[in-house]
Amino acid sequence: MTIDQARVLRLYAEAAHTAHEALTALDQISGDGDFGDNLREGLDLTVAALDASPYEPAVAVAGSVFLDQVGGTSGPLIGLLLSAISRSLAEEPDERDGWANGVREGLAAIQRVGEAEPGDRTMVDALVPARDALVGGEKFADAARAALAGAAATAHIRARRGRASYIGDRVLGTPDPGATGVALLFWALARVAEPEAVLGEVGELVPLPGTTP
Amino acid sequence: MNHLFLPEAEPVDVSVRGFARAHPGLVALHEDPLFVTALDTDPARRAGIVSGGGSGHEPLHAGYVGRGMLDAAVPGRIFASPHNRQVYEASRAVARDEGVLHIVKNYTGDRINFGIAAERLRADGIAVRRVLVDDDLATESDLTATGRRGTGATVIVEKLLGGAADSGLALDELAALGTAFCAASRSVAVAGRAQTSPSRGGEAFALREEEVEYGVGIHGERAARTITRPPFEELTERMTAQVLDALPDTRDGVVLLVNGLGATTQLELYAVHERIRYVLDKRGVPVVGQLVGTHVPALDMSGFSVTMTAMRPGWLGWWQAPSRTPAFPSQESQELNR
Repeated sequence: MTIDQARVLRLYAEAAHTAHEALTALDQISGDGDFGDNLREGLDLTVAALDASPYEPAVAVAGSVFLDQVGGTSGPLIGLLLSAISRSLAEEPDERDGWANGVREGLAAIQRVGEAEPGDRTMVDALVPARDALVGGEKFADAARAALAGAAATAHIRARRGRASYIGDRVLGTPDPGATGVALLFWALARVAEPEAVLGEVGELVPLPGTTP
Repeated sequence: MNHLFLPEAEPVDVSVRGFARAHPGLVALHEDPLFVTALDTDPARRAGIVSGGGSGHEPLHAGYVGRGMLDAAVPGRIFASPHNRQVYEASRAVARDEGVLHIVKNYTGDRINFGIAAERLRADGIAVRRVLVDDDLATESDLTATGRRGTGATVIVEKLLGGAADSGLALDELAALGTAFCAASRSVAVAGRAQTSPSRGGEAFALREEEVEYGVGIHGERAARTITRPPFEELTERMTAQVLDALPDTRDGVVLLVNGLGATTQLELYAVHERIRYVLDKRGVPVVGQLVGTHVPALDMSGFSVTMTAMRPGWLGWWQAPSRTPAFPSQESQELNR
Protein backbone atom coordinates (compact mmCIF):
# COMPACT_ATOMS: atom_id res chain seq x y z
CA MET A 1 0.00 0.00 0.00
CA THR A 2 1.23 3.46 -0.83
CA ILE A 3 -0.69 6.38 0.58
CA ASP A 4 -0.68 9.37 -1.75
CA GLN A 5 0.51 12.11 0.62
CA ALA A 6 -0.42 14.89 -1.77
CA ARG A 7 -3.99 13.59 -2.00
CA VAL A 8 -4.24 13.53 1.80
CA LEU A 9 -3.18 17.17 2.01
CA ARG A 10 -5.41 18.30 -0.87
CA LEU A 11 -8.36 16.60 0.81
CA TYR A 12 -7.36 18.18 4.15
CA ALA A 13 -7.37 21.55 2.37
CA GLU A 14 -10.89 20.92 1.05
CA ALA A 15 -11.99 19.93 4.56
CA ALA A 16 -10.49 23.16 5.97
CA HIS A 17 -12.54 25.16 3.46
CA THR A 18 -15.74 23.27 4.32
CA ALA A 19 -15.14 23.64 8.06
CA HIS A 20 -13.80 27.20 7.88
CA GLU A 21 -16.95 28.91 9.08
CA ALA A 22 -17.44 26.47 11.96
CA LEU A 23 -13.76 26.61 13.03
CA THR A 24 -13.84 30.40 12.95
CA ALA A 25 -17.02 30.45 15.03
CA LEU A 26 -15.50 28.04 17.55
CA ASP A 27 -12.36 30.15 17.81
CA GLN A 28 -14.41 33.32 18.27
CA ILE A 29 -15.86 31.68 21.35
CA SER A 30 -12.63 30.32 22.82
CA GLY A 31 -9.73 32.18 21.16
CA ASP A 32 -8.96 35.17 18.98
CA GLY A 33 -10.94 33.94 15.98
CA ASP A 34 -8.10 33.39 13.53
CA PHE A 35 -7.68 29.61 13.67
CA GLY A 36 -10.02 28.86 10.75
CA ASP A 37 -8.18 31.44 8.64
CA ASN A 38 -4.74 30.17 9.62
CA LEU A 39 -5.55 26.52 8.92
CA ARG A 40 -7.15 27.31 5.55
CA GLU A 41 -4.30 29.65 4.59
CA GLY A 42 -1.66 27.08 5.56
CA LEU A 43 -3.35 24.38 3.50
CA ASP A 44 -3.95 26.67 0.52
CA LEU A 45 -0.26 27.61 0.59
CA THR A 46 0.57 23.91 0.84
CA VAL A 47 -1.55 23.08 -2.20
CA ALA A 48 0.13 25.91 -4.14
CA ALA A 49 3.57 24.60 -3.09
CA LEU A 50 2.59 21.07 -4.16
CA ASP A 51 1.47 22.38 -7.54
CA ALA A 52 4.81 24.17 -7.90
CA SER A 53 6.98 21.21 -6.82
CA PRO A 54 5.02 17.99 -7.37
CA TYR A 55 7.99 15.70 -6.76
CA GLU A 56 8.80 16.88 -3.21
CA PRO A 57 7.47 14.68 -0.38
CA ALA A 58 4.10 16.36 0.24
CA VAL A 59 4.00 16.11 4.03
CA ALA A 60 7.47 17.66 4.26
CA VAL A 61 6.31 20.54 2.04
CA ALA A 62 3.26 21.04 4.26
CA GLY A 63 5.43 20.97 7.39
CA SER A 64 7.71 23.73 6.07
CA VAL A 65 4.76 25.86 4.98
CA PHE A 66 3.04 25.60 8.37
CA LEU A 67 6.27 26.28 10.28
CA ASP A 68 7.50 29.17 8.14
CA GLN A 69 4.46 30.92 6.72
CA VAL A 70 1.52 30.51 9.10
CA GLY A 71 1.02 33.01 11.92
CA GLY A 72 -0.39 32.44 15.39
CA THR A 73 0.78 29.47 17.42
CA SER A 74 -1.56 26.63 16.38
CA GLY A 75 -0.41 26.68 12.73
CA PRO A 76 3.30 26.30 13.50
CA LEU A 77 2.46 23.59 16.05
CA ILE A 78 0.68 21.67 13.27
CA GLY A 79 3.89 22.29 11.28
CA LEU A 80 5.87 20.47 13.98
CA LEU A 81 3.47 17.51 13.68
CA LEU A 82 3.72 17.39 9.88
CA SER A 83 7.54 17.72 9.96
CA ALA A 84 7.82 14.84 12.41
CA ILE A 85 5.53 12.69 10.22
CA SER A 86 7.59 13.50 7.13
CA ARG A 87 10.86 12.58 8.88
CA SER A 88 9.35 9.33 10.12
CA LEU A 89 7.90 8.43 6.70
CA ALA A 90 11.36 8.95 5.20
CA GLU A 91 12.94 6.60 7.76
CA GLU A 92 10.40 3.82 8.30
CA PRO A 93 10.23 1.03 5.71
CA ASP A 94 6.60 0.34 6.71
CA GLU A 95 4.23 3.15 5.85
CA ARG A 96 1.82 2.51 8.74
CA ASP A 97 4.75 2.57 11.17
CA GLY A 98 5.88 5.78 9.50
CA TRP A 99 2.58 7.52 10.20
CA ALA A 100 2.25 6.05 13.70
CA ASN A 101 5.77 6.96 14.82
CA GLY A 102 5.56 10.34 13.14
CA VAL A 103 2.36 11.21 15.00
CA ARG A 104 3.93 9.98 18.24
CA GLU A 105 7.05 12.12 17.73
CA GLY A 106 5.06 15.13 16.55
CA LEU A 107 2.71 14.95 19.51
CA ALA A 108 5.71 14.72 21.86
CA ALA A 109 7.20 17.87 20.29
CA ILE A 110 3.88 19.72 20.55
CA GLN A 111 3.59 18.76 24.21
CA ARG A 112 7.18 19.84 24.93
CA VAL A 113 6.60 23.21 23.32
CA GLY A 114 3.05 23.92 24.46
CA GLU A 115 3.47 22.24 27.84
CA ALA A 116 -0.06 20.89 27.43
CA GLU A 117 -1.42 17.67 28.90
CA PRO A 118 -4.48 15.71 27.82
CA GLY A 119 -7.55 17.40 29.30
CA ASP A 120 -6.15 20.93 28.86
CA ARG A 121 -8.58 21.56 25.98
CA THR A 122 -5.98 21.83 23.21
CA MET A 123 -5.11 19.95 20.01
CA VAL A 124 -3.38 17.40 22.26
CA ASP A 125 -6.86 16.06 23.09
CA ALA A 126 -7.34 14.97 19.47
CA LEU A 127 -3.76 13.81 18.95
CA VAL A 128 -3.45 11.50 21.96
CA PRO A 129 -6.31 9.15 20.94
CA ALA A 130 -5.13 9.25 17.31
CA ARG A 131 -1.59 8.33 18.35
CA ASP A 132 -2.85 5.55 20.63
CA ALA A 133 -4.92 4.05 17.80
CA LEU A 134 -2.08 4.24 15.26
CA VAL A 135 0.64 2.98 17.60
CA GLY A 136 -1.76 0.20 18.68
CA GLY A 137 -1.94 -0.95 15.06
CA GLU A 138 -5.55 0.07 14.46
CA LYS A 139 -6.84 1.19 11.08
CA PHE A 140 -6.47 4.80 9.92
CA ALA A 141 -10.28 5.07 10.06
CA ASP A 142 -10.20 4.10 13.74
CA ALA A 143 -7.53 6.73 14.36
CA ALA A 144 -9.71 9.30 12.59
CA ARG A 145 -12.77 8.36 14.68
CA ALA A 146 -10.65 8.53 17.84
CA ALA A 147 -9.28 11.98 16.91
CA LEU A 148 -12.76 13.32 16.07
CA ALA A 149 -14.18 11.89 19.30
CA GLY A 150 -11.28 13.39 21.29
CA ALA A 151 -11.92 16.77 19.70
CA ALA A 152 -15.67 16.56 20.35
CA ALA A 153 -15.02 15.68 24.00
CA THR A 154 -13.16 18.98 24.53
CA ALA A 155 -16.61 20.60 24.61
CA HIS A 156 -16.90 19.33 28.17
CA ILE A 157 -13.62 20.66 29.60
CA ARG A 158 -12.52 24.05 30.85
CA ALA A 159 -9.32 25.42 29.38
CA ARG A 160 -6.18 25.60 31.50
CA ARG A 161 -3.78 26.48 28.67
CA GLY A 162 -3.92 28.80 25.74
CA ARG A 163 -6.02 31.90 25.33
CA ALA A 164 -9.25 30.07 26.26
CA SER A 165 -7.88 29.69 29.81
CA TYR A 166 -8.71 33.35 30.42
CA ILE A 167 -12.46 32.95 29.94
CA GLY A 168 -13.22 29.82 31.96
CA ASP A 169 -16.71 28.38 31.76
CA ARG A 170 -17.75 30.42 28.72
CA VAL A 171 -16.20 27.81 26.41
CA LEU A 172 -18.18 24.89 27.86
CA GLY A 173 -20.39 23.23 25.27
CA THR A 174 -18.22 24.02 22.25
CA PRO A 175 -15.23 21.92 21.18
CA ASP A 176 -11.70 23.32 20.91
CA PRO A 177 -11.04 24.60 17.37
CA GLY A 178 -7.40 23.43 17.34
CA ALA A 179 -8.35 19.88 18.32
CA THR A 180 -11.15 19.89 15.74
CA GLY A 181 -8.90 21.23 12.99
CA VAL A 182 -6.11 18.73 13.61
CA ALA A 183 -8.62 15.82 13.77
CA LEU A 184 -9.51 16.61 10.15
CA LEU A 185 -5.97 15.61 9.11
CA PHE A 186 -6.73 12.07 10.28
CA TRP A 187 -10.12 12.17 8.57
CA ALA A 188 -8.39 13.05 5.28
CA LEU A 189 -5.70 10.41 5.81
CA ALA A 190 -8.32 7.70 6.43
CA ARG A 191 -10.38 8.78 3.41
CA VAL A 192 -7.35 8.38 1.15
CA ALA A 193 -5.82 5.28 2.77
CA GLU A 194 -9.06 3.37 3.43
CA PRO A 195 -11.67 4.66 0.97
CA GLU A 196 -14.08 1.88 1.97
CA ALA A 197 -14.38 3.15 5.57
CA VAL A 198 -17.55 4.99 6.61
CA LEU A 199 -16.54 8.24 8.33
CA GLY A 200 -19.15 10.88 7.59
CA GLU A 201 -18.70 14.21 5.83
CA VAL A 202 -16.90 17.27 7.19
CA GLY A 203 -20.08 19.34 7.32
CA GLU A 204 -21.68 16.81 9.70
CA LEU A 205 -18.51 16.15 11.70
CA VAL A 206 -17.74 19.83 12.31
CA PRO A 207 -21.14 21.57 12.64
CA LEU A 208 -21.52 25.28 13.27
CA PRO A 209 -21.72 25.91 17.00
CA GLY A 210 -25.35 26.03 18.15
CA THR A 211 -26.62 23.74 15.38
CA THR A 212 -27.32 20.02 15.66
CA PRO A 213 -25.74 17.84 13.01
CA MET B 1 -5.06 62.62 21.26
CA ASN B 2 -1.43 61.54 21.30
CA HIS B 3 -0.16 59.12 18.64
CA LEU B 4 3.19 57.39 18.31
CA PHE B 5 5.40 58.80 15.56
CA LEU B 6 5.56 55.62 13.51
CA PRO B 7 4.79 54.74 9.89
CA GLU B 8 1.50 52.87 9.45
CA ALA B 9 3.06 50.10 7.37
CA GLU B 10 5.56 47.76 9.06
CA PRO B 11 6.63 50.15 11.85
CA VAL B 12 8.96 47.59 13.47
CA ASP B 13 10.72 46.69 10.21
CA VAL B 14 11.32 50.35 9.44
CA SER B 15 12.63 51.05 12.94
CA VAL B 16 14.93 48.03 13.00
CA ARG B 17 16.37 49.07 9.62
CA GLY B 18 17.02 52.51 11.07
CA PHE B 19 18.58 50.96 14.17
CA ALA B 20 20.97 48.89 12.07
CA ARG B 21 21.98 51.94 10.03
CA ALA B 22 22.60 53.85 13.25
CA HIS B 23 25.05 51.22 14.50
CA PRO B 24 26.82 50.01 11.35
CA GLY B 25 29.98 48.99 13.19
CA LEU B 26 28.16 46.84 15.72
CA VAL B 27 25.22 44.99 14.15
CA ALA B 28 24.18 43.38 10.88
CA LEU B 29 20.56 43.48 9.69
CA HIS B 30 18.73 40.44 8.30
CA GLU B 31 15.39 41.34 6.72
CA ASP B 32 13.64 38.10 5.71
CA PRO B 33 13.03 37.00 8.34
CA LEU B 34 13.81 40.01 10.53
CA PHE B 35 16.66 39.77 13.06
CA VAL B 36 19.98 41.45 13.89
CA THR B 37 23.33 39.82 14.60
CA ALA B 38 26.56 40.99 16.21
CA LEU B 39 29.41 41.93 13.88
CA ASP B 40 32.15 41.44 16.46
CA THR B 41 32.10 38.49 18.85
CA ASP B 42 34.52 36.77 21.20
CA PRO B 43 35.99 33.60 19.62
CA ALA B 44 36.12 32.03 23.10
CA ARG B 45 32.33 31.78 23.14
CA ARG B 46 31.17 28.16 22.61
CA ALA B 47 27.41 28.71 22.18
CA GLY B 48 25.55 31.52 20.44
CA ILE B 49 23.20 33.59 22.61
CA VAL B 50 19.85 34.62 21.11
CA SER B 51 17.09 36.62 22.71
CA GLY B 52 14.00 38.40 21.45
CA GLY B 53 10.41 39.28 22.08
CA GLY B 54 7.76 41.82 21.26
CA SER B 55 8.82 45.31 20.17
CA GLY B 56 8.09 48.44 22.19
CA HIS B 57 10.74 47.62 24.82
CA GLU B 58 13.74 49.20 23.07
CA PRO B 59 16.68 49.14 23.58
CA LEU B 60 15.78 45.55 24.60
CA HIS B 61 16.81 43.27 22.86
CA ALA B 62 18.61 44.54 19.75
CA GLY B 63 20.42 47.26 21.73
CA TYR B 64 22.28 44.54 23.61
CA VAL B 65 23.58 42.77 20.52
CA GLY B 66 27.35 42.96 20.29
CA ARG B 67 30.55 41.81 21.85
CA GLY B 68 30.04 40.62 25.41
CA MET B 69 26.25 40.24 25.23
CA LEU B 70 23.87 38.82 22.59
CA ASP B 71 24.88 37.23 19.30
CA ALA B 72 21.42 37.86 17.85
CA ALA B 73 18.12 39.53 18.70
CA VAL B 74 14.72 38.79 17.20
CA PRO B 75 12.08 41.53 17.29
CA GLY B 76 8.38 40.67 17.09
CA ARG B 77 5.65 43.13 16.25
CA ILE B 78 4.73 45.65 18.96
CA PHE B 79 3.97 43.71 22.15
CA ALA B 80 3.74 40.44 20.16
CA SER B 81 6.03 37.44 20.10
CA PRO B 82 8.42 37.00 17.16
CA HIS B 83 7.55 34.25 14.67
CA ASN B 84 9.33 30.93 15.19
CA ARG B 85 10.98 31.29 11.78
CA GLN B 86 12.79 34.46 12.93
CA VAL B 87 14.10 32.67 16.02
CA TYR B 88 15.03 29.59 13.97
CA GLU B 89 16.95 31.50 11.29
CA ALA B 90 18.66 33.82 13.79
CA SER B 91 19.73 30.81 15.86
CA ARG B 92 21.10 29.02 12.81
CA ALA B 93 23.02 32.16 11.86
CA VAL B 94 24.83 32.45 15.21
CA ALA B 95 24.98 28.85 16.51
CA ARG B 96 28.49 27.77 17.50
CA ASP B 97 30.09 24.37 18.08
CA GLU B 98 27.99 23.69 21.18
CA GLY B 99 24.79 25.15 19.75
CA VAL B 100 22.70 28.03 20.95
CA LEU B 101 21.29 29.47 24.18
CA HIS B 102 17.84 31.13 24.10
CA ILE B 103 17.03 33.84 26.65
CA VAL B 104 13.23 34.01 26.79
CA LYS B 105 10.99 36.31 28.81
CA ASN B 106 8.17 34.35 30.42
CA TYR B 107 5.16 35.00 28.16
CA THR B 108 3.09 32.23 26.57
CA GLY B 109 3.68 33.40 22.98
CA ASP B 110 7.44 33.79 23.44
CA ARG B 111 7.72 30.39 25.11
CA ILE B 112 5.84 28.68 22.29
CA ASN B 113 7.62 30.41 19.41
CA PHE B 114 11.11 29.94 20.89
CA GLY B 115 10.04 26.36 21.70
CA ILE B 116 8.99 25.61 18.12
CA ALA B 117 12.28 27.07 16.88
CA ALA B 118 14.17 24.91 19.39
CA GLU B 119 12.43 21.76 18.11
CA ARG B 120 13.40 22.66 14.54
CA LEU B 121 17.01 23.38 15.53
CA ARG B 122 17.29 20.05 17.36
CA ALA B 123 15.92 18.29 14.29
CA ASP B 124 18.81 19.94 12.39
CA GLY B 125 21.29 18.62 14.97
CA ILE B 126 21.84 21.95 16.74
CA ALA B 127 21.74 21.77 20.55
CA VAL B 128 19.48 24.35 22.25
CA ARG B 129 19.02 25.31 25.88
CA ARG B 130 16.59 27.87 27.24
CA VAL B 131 16.86 30.35 30.09
CA LEU B 132 13.44 31.65 31.18
CA VAL B 133 13.39 35.13 32.76
CA ASP B 134 10.57 35.46 35.32
CA ASP B 135 11.33 38.30 37.70
CA ASP B 136 8.07 40.29 37.98
CA LEU B 137 6.75 40.05 41.54
CA ALA B 138 3.37 41.51 40.56
CA THR B 139 2.49 38.27 38.79
CA GLU B 140 3.52 35.92 41.56
CA SER B 141 0.51 33.71 42.24
CA ASP B 142 -0.12 30.11 43.15
CA LEU B 143 -3.44 30.26 41.29
CA THR B 144 -2.16 30.27 37.71
CA ALA B 145 0.20 27.91 35.90
CA THR B 146 1.77 30.71 33.87
CA GLY B 147 4.18 32.02 36.54
CA ARG B 148 5.84 35.41 36.91
CA ARG B 149 6.33 37.58 33.82
CA GLY B 150 9.80 38.39 32.53
CA THR B 151 10.70 42.11 32.69
CA GLY B 152 13.72 44.26 33.66
CA ALA B 153 15.94 41.41 34.86
CA THR B 154 16.34 40.39 31.22
CA VAL B 155 19.06 43.05 30.75
CA ILE B 156 21.02 41.85 33.77
CA VAL B 157 20.68 38.20 32.71
CA GLU B 158 21.80 39.02 29.15
CA LYS B 159 24.91 40.83 30.46
CA LEU B 160 25.85 38.13 32.99
CA LEU B 161 25.35 35.34 30.46
CA GLY B 162 27.31 37.22 27.81
CA GLY B 163 30.22 37.62 30.20
CA ALA B 164 30.01 33.99 31.29
CA ALA B 165 29.86 32.78 27.68
CA ASP B 166 32.98 34.78 26.78
CA SER B 167 34.85 33.09 29.61
CA GLY B 168 34.48 29.88 27.58
CA LEU B 169 31.81 28.03 29.57
CA ALA B 170 29.90 25.15 27.98
CA LEU B 171 26.26 25.43 26.86
CA ASP B 172 24.98 23.31 29.76
CA GLU B 173 26.93 25.39 32.27
CA LEU B 174 25.51 28.60 30.78
CA ALA B 175 21.95 27.24 30.95
CA ALA B 176 22.38 26.30 34.61
CA LEU B 177 23.95 29.66 35.43
CA GLY B 178 21.21 31.53 33.56
CA THR B 179 18.56 29.72 35.57
CA ALA B 180 20.43 30.70 38.75
CA PHE B 181 20.65 34.36 37.61
CA CYS B 182 16.88 34.39 37.05
CA ALA B 183 16.15 32.73 40.38
CA ALA B 184 18.20 35.47 42.06
CA SER B 185 16.37 38.36 40.30
CA ARG B 186 13.09 40.10 41.17
CA SER B 187 11.37 43.28 39.95
CA VAL B 188 8.40 45.50 40.62
CA ALA B 189 7.06 48.36 38.47
CA VAL B 190 4.79 51.38 38.94
CA ALA B 191 3.15 53.69 36.42
CA GLY B 192 1.56 57.09 36.71
CA ARG B 193 0.35 57.20 33.10
CA ALA B 194 -0.31 54.41 30.57
CA GLN B 195 1.57 54.09 27.30
CA THR B 196 0.07 55.38 24.05
CA SER B 197 -2.02 52.70 22.38
CA PRO B 198 -0.10 51.84 19.19
CA SER B 199 -3.28 50.91 17.30
CA ARG B 200 -5.71 53.70 18.16
CA GLY B 201 -3.64 56.42 19.87
CA GLY B 202 -4.44 57.96 23.20
CA GLU B 203 -3.67 56.42 26.56
CA ALA B 204 -4.06 52.63 26.66
CA PHE B 205 -5.78 52.91 30.04
CA ALA B 206 -6.77 55.86 32.20
CA LEU B 207 -5.48 56.72 35.64
CA ARG B 208 -6.72 59.58 37.77
CA GLU B 209 -4.24 62.22 38.80
CA GLU B 210 -3.84 60.92 42.34
CA GLU B 211 -3.46 57.26 41.28
CA VAL B 212 -0.53 55.02 40.45
CA GLU B 213 -0.68 51.53 39.01
CA TYR B 214 1.39 49.35 41.38
CA GLY B 215 2.71 46.18 39.74
CA VAL B 216 2.14 47.23 36.13
CA GLY B 217 3.40 45.03 33.26
CA ILE B 218 5.55 46.06 30.31
CA HIS B 219 2.79 45.55 27.72
CA GLY B 220 0.36 47.88 29.41
CA GLU B 221 -1.23 45.03 31.34
CA ARG B 222 -2.92 46.77 34.21
CA ALA B 223 -1.75 45.98 37.71
CA ALA B 224 -3.77 44.03 40.22
CA ARG B 225 -3.84 47.20 42.34
CA THR B 226 -4.40 50.85 41.59
CA ILE B 227 -3.33 52.81 44.66
CA THR B 228 -3.44 56.42 45.76
CA ARG B 229 -0.05 57.93 44.96
CA PRO B 230 2.11 57.68 48.08
CA PRO B 231 4.82 60.25 48.81
CA PHE B 232 8.01 59.65 46.74
CA GLU B 233 10.02 58.41 49.73
CA GLU B 234 7.31 55.98 50.80
CA LEU B 235 6.76 54.57 47.31
CA THR B 236 10.45 53.97 46.61
CA GLU B 237 11.03 52.44 50.03
CA ARG B 238 8.03 50.14 49.63
CA MET B 239 9.25 48.92 46.23
CA THR B 240 12.80 48.41 47.49
CA ALA B 241 11.57 46.44 50.49
CA GLN B 242 9.26 44.29 48.37
CA VAL B 243 12.06 43.30 45.99
CA LEU B 244 14.56 42.71 48.80
CA ASP B 245 12.12 40.54 50.74
CA ALA B 246 11.64 38.32 47.69
CA LEU B 247 15.37 37.86 47.03
CA PRO B 248 17.55 35.09 48.35
CA ASP B 249 20.52 35.98 50.53
CA THR B 250 22.01 39.37 49.54
CA ARG B 251 25.24 39.21 51.56
CA ASP B 252 27.37 39.12 48.39
CA GLY B 253 25.65 42.28 47.19
CA VAL B 254 23.12 43.11 44.52
CA VAL B 255 23.16 44.47 41.00
CA LEU B 256 20.50 47.17 40.90
CA LEU B 257 18.57 48.28 37.80
CA VAL B 258 16.46 51.44 38.02
CA ASN B 259 14.59 51.26 34.74
CA GLY B 260 12.44 53.88 33.03
CA LEU B 261 9.22 52.64 31.41
CA GLY B 262 9.53 54.99 28.45
CA ALA B 263 8.48 58.53 29.35
CA THR B 264 10.24 58.87 32.68
CA THR B 265 13.03 61.46 32.77
CA GLN B 266 16.60 60.95 33.89
CA LEU B 267 15.92 63.58 36.52
CA GLU B 268 13.33 61.21 38.00
CA LEU B 269 15.31 57.98 37.50
CA TYR B 270 18.41 59.31 39.22
CA ALA B 271 16.28 60.62 42.09
CA VAL B 272 14.70 57.17 42.41
CA HIS B 273 18.16 55.62 42.29
CA GLU B 274 19.47 57.90 45.03
CA ARG B 275 16.51 57.14 47.23
CA ILE B 276 16.84 53.35 46.72
CA ARG B 277 20.56 53.52 47.46
CA TYR B 278 19.72 55.32 50.70
CA VAL B 279 17.30 52.53 51.67
CA LEU B 280 19.78 49.81 50.72
CA ASP B 281 22.59 51.53 52.67
CA LYS B 282 20.29 51.74 55.67
CA ARG B 283 19.57 48.03 55.41
CA GLY B 284 23.23 47.15 54.91
CA VAL B 285 22.78 45.69 51.42
CA PRO B 286 25.93 46.23 49.33
CA VAL B 287 25.35 47.38 45.74
CA VAL B 288 28.10 45.89 43.56
CA GLY B 289 26.75 47.09 40.22
CA GLN B 290 24.06 49.45 39.01
CA LEU B 291 22.32 50.52 35.85
CA VAL B 292 20.08 53.60 35.69
CA GLY B 293 18.17 54.44 32.53
CA THR B 294 15.50 53.38 30.08
CA HIS B 295 16.38 49.79 29.29
CA VAL B 296 13.09 47.82 29.24
CA PRO B 297 10.27 50.30 28.65
CA ALA B 298 6.62 49.74 27.76
CA LEU B 299 6.56 52.10 24.77
CA ASP B 300 6.08 55.58 26.32
CA MET B 301 4.59 54.61 29.66
CA SER B 302 5.35 57.00 32.50
CA GLY B 303 6.75 55.00 35.38
CA PHE B 304 9.73 52.98 36.46
CA SER B 305 10.71 49.53 37.64
CA VAL B 306 13.21 48.37 40.23
CA THR B 307 15.13 45.14 39.65
CA MET B 308 17.72 43.54 41.87
CA THR B 309 19.84 40.46 41.30
CA ALA B 310 21.36 38.90 44.42
CA MET B 311 24.91 38.17 43.33
CA ARG B 312 26.98 35.10 44.16
CA PRO B 313 30.77 34.70 44.36
CA GLY B 314 32.19 34.63 40.83
CA TRP B 315 29.34 36.47 39.14
CA LEU B 316 30.60 40.07 39.42
CA GLY B 317 33.39 39.54 36.91
CA TRP B 318 30.78 38.73 34.25
CA TRP B 319 28.83 41.88 35.07
CA GLN B 320 31.99 43.98 34.74
CA ALA B 321 33.36 42.12 31.70
CA PRO B 322 33.99 44.21 28.58
CA SER B 323 31.04 44.76 26.26
CA ARG B 324 30.45 46.80 23.14
CA THR B 325 26.80 47.08 22.14
CA PRO B 326 24.55 49.93 21.01
CA ALA B 327 22.83 50.38 24.38
CA PHE B 328 24.64 48.78 27.30
CA PRO B 329 26.89 51.25 29.17
CA SER B 330 30.36 49.83 29.65
CA GLN B 331 30.76 48.55 33.19
CA GLU B 332 34.55 48.61 32.90
CA SER B 333 34.63 52.39 33.11
CA GLN B 334 32.20 52.28 36.03
CA GLU B 335 34.71 50.10 37.83
CA LEU B 336 37.62 52.46 37.09
CA ASN B 337 35.68 55.45 38.35
CA ARG B 338 34.80 53.98 41.72
